[in-house]
Amino acid sequence: MSSPTHIPASGSFPKRSILLHWVMAALIIATLIIGLSIAHHSTIHYAGLFTLHRTLGFIILALVLLRLANSVTTKHNPSLPATMPIWAKYAAHISHGLLYGFMLALPLVGWAMLSAGGYPITLWGGCHIPPLIGYNATLWAQLRSLHSCLAYGLAFLIMGHMAAALFHGFIRRDGVLKTMLYRR
Amino acid sequence: MTHPTPQKRSILWAAVLLPSLCLGLIFAWAGGVIGGDTLTPSHFMALFHKAGAPTTGFRRAHAKGMCVTGWFEPSEAGRTLSKSGIFRGTHLPVIGRFSLAPPMPYLADNPAIARSLAFQIRSQTGDDWRLALVDVPLQPIRDLHDALAFFGSNALDPITHQPDPARTKAYADARPWLRTAFSQNAQRAVSSGLEDDSYNSLDSFYLTNHTGKKTAVRWTATPLEPFHPAGTPSEDDKNYLFKQLIRTLNQHPLSWSLTATIARAGDPINDPSQPWSPTAEKLSVGTLTFTQAYSEDEKGCGPMVFDPTILPSGITVTDDPLLALRSSIYMHSYSTRAGETKTPSMVTSHIIASPTLSTHEKGQ
Ligand code: HEM
Ligand code: HEM
Repeated sequence: MSSPTHIPASGSFPKRSILLHWVMAALIIATLIIGLSIAHHSTIHYAGLFTLHRTLGFIILALVLLRLANSVTTKHNPSLPATMPIWAKYAAHISHGLLYGFMLALPLVGWAMLSAGGYPITLWGGCHIPPLIGYNATLWAQLRSLHSCLAYGLAFLIMGHMAAALFHGFIRRDGVLKTMLYRR
Repeated sequence: MTHPTPQKRSILWAAVLLPSLCLGLIFAWAGGVIGGDTLTPSHFMALFHKAGAPTTGFRRAHAKGMCVTGWFEPSEAGRTLSKSGIFRGTHLPVIGRFSLAPPMPYLADNPAIARSLAFQIRSQTGDDWRLALVDVPLQPIRDLHDALAFFGSNALDPITHQPDPARTKAYADARPWLRTAFSQNAQRAVSSGLEDDSYNSLDSFYLTNHTGKKTAVRWTATPLEPFHPAGTPSEDDKNYLFKQLIRTLNQHPLSWSLTATIARAGDPINDPSQPWSPTAEKLSVGTLTFTQAYSEDEKGCGPMVFDPTILPSGITVTDDPLLALRSSIYMHSYSTRAGETKTPSMVTSHIIASPTLSTHEKGQ
């Protein structure tokens, strides 16, 4: 697969990182789709879908924290191929940082906004989450808009991230895509 | 690098871009950007504006209102029906809001207009229970499609700036399943004021007790004040119903019994437009007492959302489609109005402080 002029990315991510990446990808895309659906369609399944949205949001929050800890403690994360132009490397690092930032901020803003709105927060199975901040209706309105903006941003980041990964896989064929597909 | 043929290159580029574009299409469809669905929260919000809701910080429905505070004293019957911590407490703090149902915040009081009572009961153990009740006995809406048409039929006539009775009639005529609801609502005994009115949940809820037994109920707040039939509306004072309530509260506390109507086998749980059997058992789960009035511009009930699906454990929603709709729409109304600059409410702190009825305020 690797062509002579391209030095492949070294190694691949450890199994646990690959597993975390794909589980979180599925959960985040599902949470985005559910969030968009309940905010823009009136449905008799609102209560169930909204509970699922909150529950997935909190699972994602826990997983992001786990993943950040994992990426800090993993010694040998594969580096980007040396043939990548410097600007592309910067773009990759910045977009990965943004992905982490948005993944972390979205559930935190969701939690904070419902707290500010005075909504009790219950998850699937009846688990009760304490408020993150105090009751403040103006802040509720602002955080509700922020939650939407962050969600739209994350949706575009994910689309860009997917296209960039596939660009590495199909056009550049530099082994970057494989580092997240399976352990070599 | 081996150079793929142009044909192969375009296939490769398709493989790079198409997955993202497909995901984008799914997002766009989920977010209502494509698809042309009209059964959406933003559509409902638009209908409230056509029905007279301004964009100046008021609730999109039940816009004219006033806050009250008091307490809830649960009864033994509540404890047998539900394991909720609410019914195990005593003297639980209550924040309430009396309102007129239409979306116009500056509406002249008139007994013919549907009135409502919303309140929040909190327990020492952190339970939070919100109820939003109205004084009509049945909901003239069966499902989400009815709801869309119903709020559409409330649109103000562009010339008279009044709701058009012909539209309401057309809505009712097209829906024979709502005949009972419309006739019972029209025949209800209309009370003289906010203080001697009964308020109903219309929607149904499940209560679960400590043995796991589930009971379907509808709520009614029944006044302990004697009923007086409505008189003709005051021509002089546009706040006379609210002032009457404030004046009574200044004299003595006002109480309502919170009554659970227990569904019998066959009573429709998921359709608030249909009555339950007249012999259905009624149990009082406690007494609600209000002592103090406040303007909603002061802290308290003003910003609060009385979403009827905010329930303590031991009380759950039924599959009533309108509960799902209300929860979603109340949230949209709440996040929109809380971000707006609010103009003063019609029932001001000044009126609360001196609720004297004006006698010569014609055309105020
Ligand atoms: C990674 C996690 C999350 C993602 C990706 C996400 C995504 C979304 C999206 C896309 C929307 C629709 C926004 C719009 O179009 O206006 C939304 C709405 C919402 N989200 Fe989240 N969210 C997450 C976590 C949470 C959490 C943890 C909570 C609460 C605890 C939450 C509460 C809400 C609420 C209340 C809405 C509004 C629903 C409505 O309008 O009916 N979200 N979310
Ligand atoms: C079918 C659907 C209904 C829709 C779409 C609807 C819509 C709304 C909206 C948008 C608000 C303002 C919420 C806020 O910003 O805080 C509201 C308030 C209210 N609704 Fe509904 N409503 C519906 C049915 C009902 C029913 C069945 C009842 C009672 C039985 C009810 C009772 C109330 C009351 C009492 C308030 C005022 C709450 C307060 O004082 O803050 N609504 N409604």
